[in-house]
Amino acid sequence: MDNLLHSFSLAVRNIKRTPLPYLLTILILSLGLGMFFSNATLYYWLNHDPLPHKSHSLFHPQINAVLQPCDSCTEPTRVLSYQDVKKLSSSGIPSAQAAMFQSAGYARLPGKTDQSPTPVSLRVTQRDFFTLFDVPFLHGQRWADNTARRELILSKASAERFFGRSNVVGETLQLGNELFTISGVLQNWDMLPRLYDVANGLSSAQSADIYLPWETAYDLGIKSNTTTMSRDSRDYSDNFAVNGREGDFYQAQFWVQLDSPKQVAAYQQFMQQLVQSEKEAGRHPRPEANRLTNILDITEHFNARNRQLDAFALVSLLFLLVCLFNASHLSLNRYLASQYEFGLRRALGCSRGQLQQLILADVAVSACLALALSLAVAAAAMTLIASLLPATRNLTSWNPVMVVTMAGTALVACYLVTLYPALRASFGGLNRQLK
Amino acid sequence: MSITLLLKSLLQRKVITALLLVQLTLTLALLSNSVLLSTQAYQLSNQPTGLQLDTTLAIELKPTDENLIVHPALGELIQRQLAALKQIAGVRYAAFSNQTPLIFGGMNGNVYIEGKEDTTNIDMVPYNFAEAELFDTLQMTLLHGRWLSAEDKNTDNVVITDKLAKQLFSDSHLALGQQTNGGTIVGVVADMMYQRFATDQYYGLFFNRDLNRADYGYRLLLQVEPQAVDAVRQQINSSLRQVEPEIDIQQVVSLRQLHRDYFEQERGLAILLSVLSGLMLVVAMISAYSHALFHGVQQQNEIGVKRALGASKQRILLEVFSESWLTTAIGAVLGLLASYLLQQQLATVISLPALPLWLPLSGALTLLLCVTIATWYPAAIATRVSPATATKAL
Amino acid sequence: MITLTNLSKIFRTELIETHALRDINLQVNEGEFAALTGPSGSGKSTLLNILGTLENFDSGDYQLDGKSVKGLSDAAVSRLRNEKIGFIFQSFNLIKDFSIYDNIELPLRYRGLKASARKQRIEQALELVGLHARRDYLPGQLSGGQQQRVAIARAIAGEPRILLADEPTGNLDSLMARQVMELLEQINQRGCTILMVTHDPEQARRAGRHIQIIDGQLHDSTLYQPLATQIVRPQAVAQGA
Repeated sequence: MDNLLHSFSLAVRNIKRTPLPYLLTILILSLGLGMFFSNATLYYWLNHDPLPHKSHSLFHPQINAVLQPCDSCTEPTRVLSYQDVKKLSSSGIPSAQAAMFQSAGYARLPGKTDQSPTPVSLRVTQRDFFTLFDVPFLHGQRWADNTARRELILSKASAERFFGRSNVVGETLQLGNELFTISGVLQNWDMLPRLYDVANGLSSAQSADIYLPWETAYDLGIKSNTTTMSRDSRDYSDNFAVNGREGDFYQAQFWVQLDSPKQVAAYQQFMQQLVQSEKEAGRHPRPEANRLTNILDITEHFNARNRQLDAFALVSLLFLLVCLFNASHLSLNRYLASQYEFGLRRALGCSRGQLQQLILADVAVSACLALALSLAVAAAAMTLIASLLPATRNLTSWNPVMVVTMAGTALVACYLVTLYPALRASFGGLNRQLK
Repeated sequence: MSITLLLKSLLQRKVITALLLVQLTLTLALLSNSVLLSTQAYQLSNQPTGLQLDTTLAIELKPTDENLIVHPALGELIQRQLAALKQIAGVRYAAFSNQTPLIFGGMNGNVYIEGKEDTTNIDMVPYNFAEAELFDTLQMTLLHGRWLSAEDKNTDNVVITDKLAKQLFSDSHLALGQQTNGGTIVGVVADMMYQRFATDQYYGLFFNRDLNRADYGYRLLLQVEPQAVDAVRQQINSSLRQVEPEIDIQQVVSLRQLHRDYFEQERGLAILLSVLSGLMLVVAMISAYSHALFHGVQQQNEIGVKRALGASKQRILLEVFSESWLTTAIGAVLGLLASYLLQQQLATVISLPALPLWLPLSGALTLLLCVTIATWYPAAIATRVSPATATKAL
Repeated sequence: MITLTNLSKIFRTELIETHALRDINLQVNEGEFAALTGPSGSGKSTLLNILGTLENFDSGDYQLDGKSVKGLSDAAVSRLRNEKIGFIFQSFNLIKDFSIYDNIELPLRYRGLKASARKQRIEQALELVGLHARRDYLPGQLSGGQQQRVAIARAIAGEPRILLADEPTGNLDSLMARQVMELLEQINQRGCTILMVTHDPEQARRAGRHIQIIDGQLHDSTLYQPLATQIVRPQAVAQGA
């Protein structure tokens, strides 16, 4: 203990003796680490697994079921039609499955027609959505089945915004010109990245305010406000309940939960058989191109990676490298300057181990300073990045694990930077320095 | 001091020299690639748009009452809104469309010459609702044929942009009277920058129809007197609310703002990399500064000896500088190679033009300048070492 | 060769003034071998530094070769030092990153000599100190005596008129010290004026002239006849040989 304190006081005294070079070293290290941390944070949120316990079992099926013949079209459409969903839902194999798309609408409390309605973001989906992605309920529960019903599920924030409280199950809300009963309220829930909607580039957008049953949306003519595609001459602004369901109107994502490799294989086989029978019925003129993409591969599959951030990640990693080399160069200079003192200590009987302890104390003090400074740099850098690339705005938070990791990185960086210089200084020949 | 001697002394300090070189190399590689990206972003955002960015305003809105988003109530609402907007002093023209220029995605369709779908099909062309006044509102230039009039309402007459016409018919005047799946071409207008998501950002197809449903809202476009832009913007909200309160005005923007958002990603990355390059230069300067300073302090005795042997102050100054310059020069050569390597790596991730030689070269000069400035103070200190230092015991 | 007239040097701090040298008058003639002795702190190193133009003085005058060094620019003093004065230090002061050859070459470079001229002189100097075979060694690879001989080679390669030696044998054992002394005498015999600071009374006796300095003042300056008739420039010797 006494020794340790001695080591630390020496480390601090060492800093005091050469404050400028020391501060420059820490500054350079912090700049590198800070830029790296800011980027690593964005990278982490963009690439981490939001559902680690079940991501292996979530899949996005696609079939190439476009009715216009095209032999060179070997990639299925990014969005599915009502018919596609219906066919892909018919297997009975997955333990959960849900189709979905994003939309927007205007909601208000019934009877308050004098007030202008509030714009809300909608997710049109089926009851298994909440099972697939482990969405926690605060009050009420999910829809009883997948039939059309005038029932809404609200996010906690929306419930509080419209009613001033969260337990609003059974209350009525007007969406557009229709009245709905509220059947459930979710806990605060945000899935980052929102892997269920990367096809529309919405992986870092916020979760929906209101969830609306799939069939009800078709009945009311509520369409996706992201990617939609129509491939026939029907008028989809008219009688959507029929046209939307029967026509070639593509707008949906579809997710299935397949818990075992056996289920996966079974579902793949089901898709093959489905395509086979469709081909026989003349409804699958294009080449077979079945896709069953795991949720962790979906970003790559839809080519929806943020390339700008990738490029910046590469560059900030190089910057960290530059800073590490630089800091280690500076600290080598600093240690060489005190080589004489190291030699003297050795001559006075200080063992190499004890010398290493001195160095470790120095590293620890440096790491603390560098961590504090680099967190500040990282926060500033993330503010800048978020203002320049608004798509990253929701990706800038830190959790305790991340902070601990960053502290560890800072410590390792400081140690690496000090390691060679310290070895050089302490293992150098004694006679050379003392004459 | 001779280069061979300098090289020898650099070789003596292998590790320090290697550390310095690695930093210089990476710094130069990053510097030149950042500048490359910035110039690319600059070039992109300076492409001709064919639009009056500052005097064209776009209003994005949607009725909140379901009864109003359907034809004919919708069409009638739009006409009343346009009439009200034209009452605002400073508004020259006003028109409705389903979408504005300079957006990422919107309503697109494929276009091909009737009967030649296999050879002429273009996947993504913006399909724009257009009435007579949209021509003046967007300050378009007519190249061939005529623009759409009220008589074209709900016919299949269309106008296309020059670039689309050239793509379909190789020469744009040949487009007149031709049949496409989108309709019969009656005119060709000069290119405007429409959608990044489209097959080409200058493609566009215009037709005059009633909008049946405004599920995705609609846009009102204004061409405004330059001095009245701000005043008009302030009156838009109240003017529209007076016409009909059951609307959600999502945003009122100038095309200038849309243009900025249009290149947001490139611009953002370019600025980020420039900031990083600036930091790198600072780091390089700190490094050169402290290296020269430490080195000077460490070599006081040596400098003293050299002074005693007859080296003048200028000579010492030159020696300190030439060491910095030599390392920077070696770093620059390595950095030149690294620049190309990094460019290759970045090009696998984002679209990036080839690296012209002048870029890393001028980057190297900048680096040299920064290093010189940073070395100045330590070098000046080194010259102040008294030659009498040589006679003092170590 | 060297004429000091009423030369004084004062070290000032905020509180006190110390007279390092007080009214020194000294005449050293061409070809002399003079030993400068005195207790520690007596001012002998200061005197040597002033003679070598490494330090300035406060009053009086210093004429080297009939020309006053007072008021010369840094460049002029540097050139003077480079061309006329050779230094030998107690701790050799070789540049440790440079080879023996490069060390000796340094002052010749400062003079701006061509590579061929430099090479010729370095070879001669190495020949004289007997280290020709070790020309590519680093100083650290040599013994102390050898290092001092390299330092002497460096000092004489520029063919200086005066050699200033600050305890040249102070860090050497007696055998090596004797070798160095013999070398210096040999150089002196070729006509080079030598001024040597020493603590060793034996060495002081071997020098032709003994100058003592105590508390910044000269004492007992014994004059010997300069060996004027023996002046032969080293280069002339080499050419003659």
